[in-house]
Amino acid sequence: MSESAGANGPKPSSSVKLVLLGEAAVGKSSLVLRFVNNDFQENKEPTIGAAFLTQKCALPTRTIKFEIWDTAGQERFASLAPMYYRNAQAALVVYDVTKPSSLTKAKHWVAELQRQASPGIVIALVGNKLDLTNDGGDTSAAPETETESAGPDGDEAAGEEGEEQDATPGDARKVSTREASGYADEEGLLFFETSAKTGTNVVDVFTAIANAIPESSLKTGRGAAGAGGQNTLGGRSGDDSRVNLGDRNAATAKEGCAC
Amino acid sequence: MMPWSSFVQKAQSLIDPANFNIPSLSSNDDNPSKASLFRQQFRLPDSQNPLQEITADLVLPLPTSSSGTGEASRRVDKAGNRYTGRLHLSERFICFSTQPTSFLPSSTLSASTSWTGQTHGTGPSGNGFTLPLSCIRRVERLHSATHVFSLALTTWNGLLHKQQEPNFVPQRLILQLVGSRQACERFCDCLKKGLREAMKEVDNLRAVVTDCYSEYLLSGAKPSSKEETNPNARQPPDAGLGMLFRYPGDARKLRDRSKMRLWGEYFRENGRNTTLVRQPTFHKLIRVGLPNRLRGEIWELSSGSLFLRVRSPKLYEETLVKFEGQESLAIDEIEKDLNRSLPEYPGFQSDEGIGRLRRVLTAYSWTNAEIGYCQAMNIVVAALLIYMSEAQAFFLLSVLCDRLLPGYYSTTMYGTLLDQKVFESLVEKTMPVLWDHLAKHDVQLSVVSLPWFLSLYINSMPLVFAFRVLDVFFLEGPKVLFQVGLAILRINGEELLDIQDDGAFISVLKSYFSRLDESAHPRSENPKLRAITRFQELMVVAFKEFSGITHSTITEQRDKHKGAVLENIENFAKRTSIRNLGPESKRLSVDDLGTIYDRFYEVLYQWQQQQKLLEDERRRQEKKKSERFSILGPPVDQEVGRVGLGPSPTHMDYDAFREFLAATSKWAVSDTPASARKDSQGYGSLKGNKSLLWANRRQPADHEFMQRLYRKWSTDPEEGLNLQMVVNGLARLKGSPDIMNNINYFFNLYDDSGNGQVDREGILKISEALLFLSRRGFEGTITASPSTDDLHGIRDDKNSLTTDEKFLGSVSAFIRRCFEYADPSHPENQKAAAQDDATAEATEKLDSFTIGDEEEDLIDVDGDSTSKKAESTTAKSESSEKTRPRSESANPALDPNNPLHITLPTFRMVVLADELLEQFFESYFPQSFHLSDHPHPAALAASSSLSSNLTTFSNIGSARPSQLSASSGASVAGASGGIVPPGKGLRGVLDNIVTDGIRMAAEVKKRMDDAQRDLERSALGRDEEDDEEDDDEYPHRGSVSTTAMAGGISSWGAGAYGADLERRSVREADRDLLEGAEVEASSLLDGKADSEPGSSKQSPTGRATRAADHDPEVVSKVVEFES
Repeated sequence: MSESAGANGPKPSSSVKLVLLGEAAVGKSSLVLRFVNNDFQENKEPTIGAAFLTQKCALPTRTIKFEIWDTAGQERFASLAPMYYRNAQAALVVYDVTKPSSLTKAKHWVAELQRQASPGIVIALVGNKLDLTNDGGDTSAAPETETESAGPDGDEAAGEEGEEQDATPGDARKVSTREASGYADEEGLLFFETSAKTGTNVVDVFTAIANAIPESSLKTGRGAAGAGGQNTLGGRSGDDSRVNLGDRNAATAKEGCAC
Repeated sequence: MMPWSSFVQKAQSLIDPANFNIPSLSSNDDNPSKASLFRQQFRLPDSQNPLQEITADLVLPLPTSSSGTGEASRRVDKAGNRYTGRLHLSERFICFSTQPTSFLPSSTLSASTSWTGQTHGTGPSGNGFTLPLSCIRRVERLHSATHVFSLALTTWNGLLHKQQEPNFVPQRLILQLVGSRQACERFCDCLKKGLREAMKEVDNLRAVVTDCYSEYLLSGAKPSSKEETNPNARQPPDAGLGMLFRYPGDARKLRDRSKMRLWGEYFRENGRNTTLVRQPTFHKLIRVGLPNRLRGEIWELSSGSLFLRVRSPKLYEETLVKFEGQESLAIDEIEKDLNRSLPEYPGFQSDEGIGRLRRVLTAYSWTNAEIGYCQAMNIVVAALLIYMSEAQAFFLLSVLCDRLLPGYYSTTMYGTLLDQKVFESLVEKTMPVLWDHLAKHDVQLSVVSLPWFLSLYINSMPLVFAFRVLDVFFLEGPKVLFQVGLAILRINGEELLDIQDDGAFISVLKSYFSRLDESAHPRSENPKLRAITRFQELMVVAFKEFSGITHSTITEQRDKHKGAVLENIENFAKRTSIRNLGPESKRLSVDDLGTIYDRFYEVLYQWQQQQKLLEDERRRQEKKKSERFSILGPPVDQEVGRVGLGPSPTHMDYDAFREFLAATSKWAVSDTPASARKDSQGYGSLKGNKSLLWANRRQPADHEFMQRLYRKWSTDPEEGLNLQMVVNGLARLKGSPDIMNNINYFFNLYDDSGNGQVDREGILKISEALLFLSRRGFEGTITASPSTDDLHGIRDDKNSLTTDEKFLGSVSAFIRRCFEYADPSHPENQKAAAQDDATAEATEKLDSFTIGDEEEDLIDVDGDSTSKKAESTTAKSESSEKTRPRSESANPALDPNNPLHITLPTFRMVVLADELLEQFFESYFPQSFHLSDHPHPAALAASSSLSSNLTTFSNIGSARPSQLSASSGASVAGASGGIVPPGKGLRGVLDNIVTDGIRMAAEVKKRMDDAQRDLERSALGRDEEDDEEDDDEYPHRGSVSTTAMAGGISSWGAGAYGADLERRSVREADRDLLEGAEVEASSLLDGKADSEPGSSKQSPTGRATRAADHDPEVVSKVVEFES
């Protein structure tokens, strides 16, 4: 759905800098690879420093060009992260649903972003490797109906399901949907569970982020001068504020920087 | 313990400062020590120090393309290359370099005249040689008209094989020393000594050298023919996975064969592997790209990792064996990446290649646990393994991590970040237009260039080209990475000026890298120009246009940016770890946490530094050659002591914790610095040493209370306290401004058995602790008032006691009340009687020595305060040792004093019954831990709302809203302002009370012990034995270290003309041996130079000739070292 961007030439297009953060081997690069090339590799070369990829995402009213910075996950690369999330308008904080420690690390990243990244950064919490859980194959299990935002309503249903699944033998899930989504709610994050392997929910994550980016930040966007990145969200009112998602997005953004 | 410092000073005085440098003492300087520069220049192992240095001319025989060089080499002064430079001598190496002096080409030679290389012959190693002394076979002194000291070195070059090479001529280097006779003699003397030592290592040398590809190449196997056609040739040594899976690139296109031939020629004329002499051709041959099979060996040689391997040839295998089967975090991380390291190379799709990669990375992670494994190392090592054996790659990786890429792969990656900063500043300087453009479009250069540096261009450029960069990198050092990076930007400058964002920036460079093999000038008329590839262009730009970027440029820039980069990292680390401290920490303000963090690491690092100094000192005394445990691992002159530099210590032990407390609370500072120094042996005795950090620091006290705090806070006292535990501990004390909480906390500290009871001894200890904590005054947090209704009333004049004095009264009342309200431990046994007895007895005892409320009593004891002070110190430690499981004392049969205990409610009641004690727990105790100047906002708000009604009895029973009970210095201090400095009189009183308390405790103890002794005589006996053993050991240990120390000093002295008698005699013996060898040498000179190595091992013959340096008139004297 996102690849069809080129067809509608006149739609306004803007770029969004997005950064992926998360513990090593949770599947950051694989998510990007799935989103950008609709591909999956078992043995992906480790990311040194960061990888850069772009992909367009078509929304009804506009086209978003994602400039994706896929960072290295190894702990010691963490000190390089500020270099990459600088001026990012969106962030994907990824954890592995089969590894509780990765959610802890994800929380650390969220806190870091909320304090250090551009104010108003849109953060999505993404639990990857859904294919390893029992609800992995069933794409309807994840809250994909709520693609525009981290609707609390969507989480609820999924949450219950997640907890039920916990009890099932053979299920590799170690992080319940409820726990993660509850945290995402508290912090005002978008929340998804995905599988880069099967493709479940991957595009939805990016679409939701595209929708959640405030208009105002898009207009002035990255074309602005070097120092501009942080100011773009300021008081400038976007021309396109009539877009139906505006209100909700603004709210999300505000929550994002509340701490 | 003898003070270390005196020995150090003594030792230092014996050392000629010009010739010697103790690396560990100068390691804290901002500037690298001379020793480290020396090692860097010659790529020597860390064990080497510059011992002697002299100006000298190196005269080399004429390089002729044919193999017959015999005649030409004799005409030493008339023909041949003459280099002027410095000759250096270290423990195991003799090195010569034209750098920094100029390179003087001889008039006759074309090969060396014009070519000075783009670096003007001043690559890090310059022209010259780095010879392990073990490969010097013979040193002759030649007659020379111009130079008094003219030495001819004959090396083992080519002689370590059984098989003799055709047309072989031994390598002979002529060195003409320039300097005073004395200096020359000193140099020769030192050389001789080194040579003797080095003879032991010839076997190592042989083991390594025979495995070198160059030996194979020159051994007669036709280098130009393929192995398959020559089945009789010996097996070629391992030259990497490339031998099995082909080397990357087209060998024909790379002109591998003709390069091989050129190298063969070079080796024949200038020596190979360890005995190679660097002439301009060497640099040139490297610039054009190394031939596949020699690549590994030349990398090893130019980086200096070969010398590490010579030093301990088996280390790699031994490491693998030693740690076999063990697991670590690094190994997990390595496993994840094995399948994804240069996956495009067929060797790494095979088990063979992956196995090699696994072993090398794993072995290294064990030898350098501080680095362990960092992503990107997998790529670098994979690349190395294409051209080298596992052991070679292992040592080369070590040199990479420690020296060539310092800090790149450390846990904070500060080296990587630093070099990015340096690179950016170089771009700004050399390409200001481009820089401005990038800045304008907010393109961050380092996000692109970081992988270049981190993985040495290996995954940025096609492999064949990346290896060409590596060829030069290993020879010339890190500056090459910068030069190439700058050249890439320069060449793509115009295109880059068109880009608007990161994406375009990256794609421009990506496409450039993919076309490196294309012609740089495809449309040129000139076919020669057309033939130049983009890569060649890159090399030319890098080394010509950016020839100004030298090693010192980089060093300078690194120094300039280092502070800022480290600070950034540290801020990041601090921010992150404070944020991740967990829910407990939220009770403290961010400022407080920051203060704790800073203080924690400051103490930890200083403590560590201190320990390291002591450790170094001890090791130096034990062993003269302070050889490191392993020859690999972090360099000895590595900087430590900053969070930003790498893995930090995480836990503090009790002693460090005392330091921490001393920095936090007044009461934790010792009153008697002298005794504290004695405690921590040798601790302050290094005074005067410039690197001693704590010379003027407050000495921490050592009190039982602090031990209790330590045990309470740590989950495992053996392991120590980490930041989390310290924060949690402080958060519990300071975070919840609730008096009940504080009282409970205090009680629990003394509830040893955890059953909610504190016994007699515990009560005494509590009172002791109260006095300990209050002995420096209350900083105005406690106000005595005549009535509880008027807390803010000014002190009643009729009751002219200070707060501190009153507090003493409170404490004694506390003891009394505790005993009064204590419960018997065994209510079923004569409950009432016991209580009565105990109370009566206790009260009686207390009355006999406890200070009453009368001030006269208090001040009376002033007189003998000093002596009691001393007593109390010893008594204190005694009593603290006697803490025993409560179960013992709970046995009434053992305790003549009918056991009793107080429970938490009792304790609470007793505390709350006293106004001062109540305030103590409410305000003073939590506030005595000083963190940042800004208290938690919540606490501040609470305290401002609480202007009166601080502590009344009316609200003690009910659960108070925590907000109200919050107390802070602000309001209370304002109310009282009664800061009482710990005066002399007061201290006397304090001491008295403490002593009395201790006396009573001791009394109780004694009776218990008497009873126990009957039952546990055997156990006690064993204890005593242990003590005796300890005593025995002590002096013994002392004497050992003393002798070791003497040995160390004498060896130092000998290194610089020491006057040690024993040493002298040893050297006498040396001389005899050498003189014997001389005879043989002269006979060998007459034509038996080809004698089988090893056959005439150190066999002096009878006739003695005088040593060369003793008779300057002898025309030609020879000293040979044969092994």
